[in-house]
Amino acid sequence: MADMNNLTQQQQQLKEKINTASKSSGTEIAKALTFQIGDRVYGVDISYLTEIIGIPHITVVPGIPCYIKGVINVRSKVVPVIDIRSRFDLPEREYDDKTCTVIINYLDIQVGIIVDQVLEVLSVKAENKADIPALERVNNNKFIEYILETNDSIKMILDVKKLIFDDDFDVEAVAAE
Amino acid sequence: MAKVEAGMEGMVDMYLFETTTLIDQLDEILLRTEQANEFTEDDINEVFRIMHTVKGSSAMMGFENLQKLAHKGEDMFFIIREDPSKMKDIGFVYDLVFQMSDLFKAEIEEIRNNPDYEGTDFSEMIAKLEDGARILKGELDEAEAEANAASAASGKTSAVSAGENQSVIRVFFEQDCKMENLRALLLLNRLKESFDVIDWFPKDVESNAESGTLIQEDGFLITLNKADVEEAVKVIEQSLNVDTYEIVKNEKEEAAPAPAAEPAPAAEKPAESKPAPAEVKKEPAPAKKPAPAATAAAQKQEKQQSAQQQVSGGGKQSLISVNLQKLDQLHDIVGEIITTESMVVSNPELEGLKLESFQKAARELRKLTDELQDSVMSIRMVPLVGPFQKMHRIVRDMKQKLGKNVELVIEGEDTEVDKSIVDNLNDPLMHLVRNCMDHGIEEDVNERIEHGKPEKGTIKLSATSSAGEVIITVSDDGGGIDTDRVLQKAEDAGLLTKPASEYSEREINNMIMLPGFSTNTEVTEYSGRGVGMDVVKKNIEKSGGSIFVESKRYEGSSFIIKIPLTLAIIAGMEVRVGDIIFTVPTSAIKQSFKITSNQIIYDTQGNEMIMIRGECYPILKLFQKFNLKTDITDFEEGILILVEADGKSVCLFADKLIGEQQVVVKPFPAYLSRYNLKAEGLSGCSIMGDGSISLIIDVNNIIDKQ
Repeated sequence: MADMNNLTQQQQQLKEKINTASKSSGTEIAKALTFQIGDRVYGVDISYLTEIIGIPHITVVPGIPCYIKGVINVRSKVVPVIDIRSRFDLPEREYDDKTCTVIINYLDIQVGIIVDQVLEVLSVKAENKADIPALERVNNNKFIEYILETNDSIKMILDVKKLIFDDDFDVEAVAAE
Repeated sequence: MAKVEAGMEGMVDMYLFETTTLIDQLDEILLRTEQANEFTEDDINEVFRIMHTVKGSSAMMGFENLQKLAHKGEDMFFIIREDPSKMKDIGFVYDLVFQMSDLFKAEIEEIRNNPDYEGTDFSEMIAKLEDGARILKGELDEAEAEANAASAASGKTSAVSAGENQSVIRVFFEQDCKMENLRALLLLNRLKESFDVIDWFPKDVESNAESGTLIQEDGFLITLNKADVEEAVKVIEQSLNVDTYEIVKNEKEEAAPAPAAEPAPAAEKPAESKPAPAEVKKEPAPAKKPAPAATAAAQKQEKQQSAQQQVSGGGKQSLISVNLQKLDQLHDIVGEIITTESMVVSNPELEGLKLESFQKAARELRKLTDELQDSVMSIRMVPLVGPFQKMHRIVRDMKQKLGKNVELVIEGEDTEVDKSIVDNLNDPLMHLVRNCMDHGIEEDVNERIEHGKPEKGTIKLSATSSAGEVIITVSDDGGGIDTDRVLQKAEDAGLLTKPASEYSEREINNMIMLPGFSTNTEVTEYSGRGVGMDVVKKNIEKSGGSIFVESKRYEGSSFIIKIPLTLAIIAGMEVRVGDIIFTVPTSAIKQSFKITSNQIIYDTQGNEMIMIRGECYPILKLFQKFNLKTDITDFEEGILILVEADGKSVCLFADKLIGEQQVVVKPFPAYLSRYNLKAEGLSGCSIMGDGSISLIIDVNNIIDKQ
């Protein structure tokens, strides 16, 4: 948790930095769906998104890492679901009526991502997009593609590929925890 | 549909479809190239390939006449392919090939529609094609060929080709001499003694008694070198029963007096047969048959024209080829409909309501969706004829190479299996048949006689379907497996995992399918690299099947392959463990039963076992195996399911049985493929009526891994 507080501080600084930059209404370069996990806001590029559903019955599949909760039935397709909380090493919480599954399609691989709450779709403009400091690319920050700054807050847009795959990520270590 | 060789019926449709497609392709290429006035190398190769394929498949189906026709076409393009410079002035090639393709179409129509189909005689066209080939070779020029064609059209002379420096002699026998064909044969043999007989007609005088009638009507035609004619005539004069004879010249004017032919119309026909190429494309060449059998020719022509109309009128193929992906898609949708249907019909909100007409409609819907599912499944089913028939060829080739006298017997080739499975069966079957030929059947015939077996070995390929499974057996009546040798070999290769004496015969027999095992010390062309049988096993397991060997020394061995009828749907028993539902394939279940604690036997490691009818089976607790939470851990509360695969058995312990149903098998999503779920004992999942997902247990692996 100390780590996280630290991170929040960093984000604040970053936000101030971005706020000082000039704000002209540039052209939209992408759109991102934002969702909430705990008290933080993340997002994914909308081009990966196929649909948002509630929490269906999840069938546990033995022998897979624990952040993959199992498989669900999405329109007669069997889709694996990832709990983003356990992916981020955050404590899991009970699913409620705001909990959603965001179905993502990456290179024709469908994966559901369980989030606490879906927020809104934001447009991404070049001037309110910022890279995350290289130093911060550790732990859960490695999933972050860039930072999106809007009027009131900053959002961390996730790198879908890194989120669902573990190229340099040690699955065993996560599972062991 | 025409009668064909026994065992080939199933393939006629496919043959007709394929050939029609190829001939259409041929037309297309010809039309295109003619318009562009350019024949590229690719085009030539493509035409050659088409001819070759048609020839091959016609031969396979036993349509000799079509085979010959295609063969001549192929010959012609062979010359062109060898020397593309010949393609400069080849207007006549187009004519010939178009005529040929029309004949093909007509014949295909005939095969399709005429149950008493008898091959049409294409000798006339064949002669034309031969002439065409000669022209290309430069042996004949076009004018002469035309003259040839003309003489061909003016009488049955067409049947025998008369090239340069050749003459045709038409012999008539005495009116009532009977058995004209035999007389003709005798004459032919006499002539053959002293002269070079190039050709004769009817060709089948020796075998076909009916050719006698033809000879009586049209005479017997013999082609000889011009130089020989005088001498030959003397021989003919001396022969018994010869009434008259005449020398038929190549020029059409002189051919006209041919007795049975009506000269005038016949002479006109050839002119029509050479219309401008553009017309040829649209219409079949009118003069397909010469005048002699005027009525028959008219009928034939009519038939051809109607065939032509049918073909040009959008075709009426009863087969279409569909992308397998589209079928999968359709299949998915049907699965979805079935799931949705049960969501609607057994919707909890309907509970307690009195809905008479709704129930009636629901039943109707269920009936229809069932039918829909069946027909979608049947679309994917194809008979095993294809892979089975291919084995004939392999046996034939190997028979010659190995010098073994073997007969291949095929049974149940009309058994239907899912397309994807058939595709995966080709290689394993080929390997097994080769194995039987090479290792099964004895090298030495005396060895067979010694053991009271007929000299001729038999390899049997059979298929039967039972309860959602297809059982394919490849067996031979050869020497069987030498268990001592196998055991020794396995020991040498370090494949034994327990003392040699503890292996049962069955276990030893199945050792031949272990990776890196080969009993043949010498590597042969066909088998014996030790990479065979284990690959066969792997391939079969890949399509969800299993294979085992049964063998008796000196009596033969059988390879028994069990594969699911379809990969897509299996009958499964739903069992609950905690809040997860597993599907156990019904085909693997022997029985299910409740037990009391005192029936459980413990071994020294505390593993539970149970005795059923004098046999001891290990118990596998599913909740423990898959690490699941459940309230039912006591044997008395749950249920045991005895499953068997590959001759090995285990008792699965589950919470309770839910019921049996047909389930649509879905592989695990690609995302999970990097985790070896198959090794965990799970082969896939399926979506059930209420929309939840069940996990399908891979009985084979769960037994191995426990």
